[in-house]
Amino acid sequence: MIADLFILRQQYVGKVRFSHFDTHVQSSKKVLVATERNVFAALNTRTGELFWRHVDKTGSEGNIDALLQHGQDAVLVVGNGRLLRSWEINVGGLNWEVVLDSGSFQSACLVGQQDMVKHVAVLKKTAISVHYLSNGHQKWIENLPETETVDYQAVYSDGNGEVYVLGVVPHSHIAIVVYSMEDGEIIKQMSVEAPWLYNIQASCVVVGQGMLTCVDSAGVSFYMLDLHLQLQMTQVPLQSLALEVDPGFHPVLLSHQPNPARQPLSEFFLQLGPDHYQLLQLNNGQIAAMRDFKPALLVSFATTGEKTVAAVMSPKNKTVSKCEIERSLPSRPVVNLFSAETGRRLLDTTLIVNMDPNGGKPEKLYVQAFLKKDDSVGYRAMVQTEDHTLTFIQQPGRVMWTREEALSDVVTMEMVDLPLTGTQAELEGEFGKKADGLMSMVMKRLSSQLILLQAWIGHLWKLFYDARKPRSQVKNDVTIENLSRDEFNLQKMMVMVTASGKLFGIDSKTGGILWRHYLHNVPPNAAFKLMVQRTTAHFPHPPQCTLLIKDKDTGLGTLHVFNPIFGKKSHVTPPALPQPILQSLMLPLMDQDYAKVLLLVDDQYKVSAFPSTKNVLQQLQEMAASIFFYLVDSSQGRLSGYRLRTDLSTEQIWEVIIPPEVQKIVSVKGKRPNEHVHSQGRVMGDRSVLYKYLNPNLLAVVTESTDLHQERSFIGILLIDGVTGRIIHEAIQRKARGPVHVVHSENWVVYEYWSTKSRRNEFSVIELYEGMELYNSTVFSSLDRPHAPQVLQQSYIFPSSISTMEATLTEKGITSRHLLIGLPSGGILSLPKMFLDPRRPEIVSEQSREENLIPYAPELLIRTEWFINYNQTVSRVRGIYTAPSGLESTCLVVAYGLDIYQTRVYPSKQFDVLKDDYDYMLISSVLFALFFATMISKRLAEVKLLNRAWR
Amino acid sequence: MASPGGQGGGGALSTRGGGGARRMKWALELSLGNTRSRGDRQGGQGDVVYPIGYSEKPVPDTSIQETDKNLVEKRCWDVALGPLKQIPMNLFIMYMSGNTISIFPIMMVCMMAWRPIQALMSMSATFKLLESSSQQWLQGLVYLVGNLLGSALAIYKCQSMGLLPTHSSDWLAFIDPPQRMEIMGGGMVL
Repeated sequence: MIADLFILRQQYVGKVRFSHFDTHVQSSKKVLVATERNVFAALNTRTGELFWRHVDKTGSEGNIDALLQHGQDAVLVVGNGRLLRSWEINVGGLNWEVVLDSGSFQSACLVGQQDMVKHVAVLKKTAISVHYLSNGHQKWIENLPETETVDYQAVYSDGNGEVYVLGVVPHSHIAIVVYSMEDGEIIKQMSVEAPWLYNIQASCVVVGQGMLTCVDSAGVSFYMLDLHLQLQMTQVPLQSLALEVDPGFHPVLLSHQPNPARQPLSEFFLQLGPDHYQLLQLNNGQIAAMRDFKPALLVSFATTGEKTVAAVMSPKNKTVSKCEIERSLPSRPVVNLFSAETGRRLLDTTLIVNMDPNGGKPEKLYVQAFLKKDDSVGYRAMVQTEDHTLTFIQQPGRVMWTREEALSDVVTMEMVDLPLTGTQAELEGEFGKKADGLMSMVMKRLSSQLILLQAWIGHLWKLFYDARKPRSQVKNDVTIENLSRDEFNLQKMMVMVTASGKLFGIDSKTGGILWRHYLHNVPPNAAFKLMVQRTTAHFPHPPQCTLLIKDKDTGLGTLHVFNPIFGKKSHVTPPALPQPILQSLMLPLMDQDYAKVLLLVDDQYKVSAFPSTKNVLQQLQEMAASIFFYLVDSSQGRLSGYRLRTDLSTEQIWEVIIPPEVQKIVSVKGKRPNEHVHSQGRVMGDRSVLYKYLNPNLLAVVTESTDLHQERSFIGILLIDGVTGRIIHEAIQRKARGPVHVVHSENWVVYEYWSTKSRRNEFSVIELYEGMELYNSTVFSSLDRPHAPQVLQQSYIFPSSISTMEATLTEKGITSRHLLIGLPSGGILSLPKMFLDPRRPEIVSEQSREENLIPYAPELLIRTEWFINYNQTVSRVRGIYTAPSGLESTCLVVAYGLDIYQTRVYPSKQFDVLKDDYDYMLISSVLFALFFATMISKRLAEVKLLNRAWR
Repeated sequence: MASPGGQGGGGALSTRGGGGARRMKWALELSLGNTRSRGDRQGGQGDVVYPIGYSEKPVPDTSIQETDKNLVEKRCWDVALGPLKQIPMNLFIMYMSGNTISIFPIMMVCMMAWRPIQALMSMSATFKLLESSSQQWLQGLVYLVGNLLGSALAIYKCQSMGLLPTHSSDWLAFIDPPQRMEIMGGGMVL
């Protein structure tokens, strides 16, 4: 099908938590990643594409606690120690899965004996269990002693047939239990005084021949304990090694155990400050400083064969002082390799990390080391930055691929029309301006034609120039320079806001990321609201988007104003917002630069305008009487409406309290401002009209009961006028439970819930009609509506649960509507709204047949041809965004979640487009043939007439 | 009338002429008023044989003026009543074609509607035709009424087929969306 050409799917994994390079084969191209989005995947190190991906449940149930890799097996502990899984990393198949005994997970490690790794040990709060690596069977499980007082935190093994479990009694002592690998018997058990210690994993590592090395930030010293001898802790002050910890910094240790059946390296890193590392060596119980790295951003160990190297990433300019690093991102950090044994820098191992200037700081460094033919060590580096980007870099600085994992968590998005090309804009500019004299119009016309000619010649020249180049060099990519709107406005710019605070501009045709911008200092739980203030229609003014970022803790908001086409920050300075912001409101008013006015409501219910020029304020004063806004406070169960006064203060005009003890407000849905309704009514069977109740101020408020008992739980839906606070309709669905998904559009509300009574998912649709006559056909005012609308409602059974729901949207609203439903199975279903129509009759009559109403059937079937993504599963759909295109029949759809999926839907088929198989050749050749036949026969007829006349 | 007399009416063909005519093999005499031939005929023993019942004297037609008048009148009434006469036929076609909207009923309705309109358009030509009649105005009126009835029938047919925009639903597409008087926005407290 040709429609596949418009399909675009991008698969993501999320922010990487654990990562391992597949090292068991020298030529392997895999890197395993386990992420915070509960995804376990293998990436191709050459291209960055996914080999395979496993998406687990969301939330803590699918949380990946640990990733251990040995050979072809990757062992995962999932769901806070609930499951232990082993994956085969070549094809991504599951080897085995065992359910572990309950108890919260602490630590896990591979256990080896005589250079063979055959077991995995899992430490939980109260027990330790050892499993075979080959089949997952439990070898033994032992309860830990004294679990009431001791907090067991780490497990360690170095291949000598013993498993060490390390626990701590905070600020008192370390407890060490040694188990025999064979049968799980306790060999030794003892405790060592350590009054300064409270967390082993944060401050201790095992180094060298089983030396537990801890660093104490308060006492500023090392403590060392030989796990085999376990006499007592020896204290080594950091000062004796001439080391100094940065004030306020908690020092961190980093060690490396290349093979779980062997002892760890005796070299380790100590981080002394945010940009200060020290390589240390443990030699016969003595710590010796080997090399000081300052400034250094990140360090990492890597092993290949028998060689272990330390990779250190440092800012290129070594003289950069510390405060400068904090202030500005070092644009080109450099990675160097150092021999772990000697601390010497290896020659020709410099790798320049080309950082995106609009990206974040590097956060983690993963190094894949390999032996070259001449036995020297080569490497590639995978850098993870704080904007969740993975960059894979080869020496001497070639970026092999970049994965924008921030896109796995899109919060909100908008689609913006692309600008016209320069020439088109020139023409539009000419005709957009007002006429000022005949002469100047002619001149303008001529000049614009001249520009067109120039552009055309330039285009021809470029074609000629490109034709001489080899084909491979001619780039056909869409770049920011050659962006232009296509004929039917089908290609748009997708502006995506991600939870990490990174903004993306993606071309909807190719899926290429055209710009990215990382916003520093975005709090992790921020709320975002993206608004398009000025579209591309107002040439030469650039389009303008505004992102409102609100810190949920402090309530303070900031505005980021940018150009959605180029991603550049706008030169317009957004107002400072000293007060916490409650909501924002986009008005259809425009200032003299065609930017829509944004009203920001603060917690004193005062309103500020952006942009706030004199012109705008004057317009606002004129319009103030007709500007209303509503606020919904879910925690207090309060819906309130406000009116704007001319001095930009507000006045509360209505309030509805929904007691939060009984039910809480889950969502409030208004209508989309860019929605057009073409038909004002519905034609009945007798050809009269049932007029729709098209209240643009109508809100659908969904509430859920706080009581979740299946007999008493209910959901409520409230249709309320946002201007007057008048309750238009209220419905309670008893024995029903959320999550409720709502779509509110035109004159209908569709919602989906779980019926606890029948244990099934149900759809319900409410439609509002004004009746057979319109009250006022020219204007709609909520303040003058004496008649209540007629309300019709019907419910249906749906065979699947859903994850999100949205309605299609087209330019003029002529095309029939479909509901786009994201299913947890990964399908996106396009369900015709026709099936959700409360006028579907139970008994078919002549009139209902005339109206093309489908007879009522309680079940809604899922037809497989309704899936708009075929077999391209979209994981964890979180939202669906719909946008109209220039073609009335076509609606652009973007589904986002873990993956991003973009396509076009045609709810009423492509009635305004010629079919793909339209035979232009045949039609035009027939036309030409007929034309010539006419000409020839005309000529022949003339000749014949003449001949006859002569005779 | 199988006789050479038919030709003889126009001219006599003589093959056996006497006297000077003998010199020619044959001759065609185009003029009947030829004195010589008349003299021959009057001689009683001419060559031309007249058919039985032929009278040389022309018969005077005295009634022709009256019947002509009647005929014109009749003819004019025929013209005037033509549209009215078609109505029963049209009714029958209407009944047969039914109310479904498909190509044949539509074509028939178009024909039914078009013919009276065409007739009304060429009213002046029809009047010219009726000029000779004494009841010209009455006939014109009848013709007009007949055509009007025909078009009324066509309209009725259109109505019963649902082709006339007489319902409110037919004007639905032309209703503009009402203008919004209030500007409203807001939402959940962020």
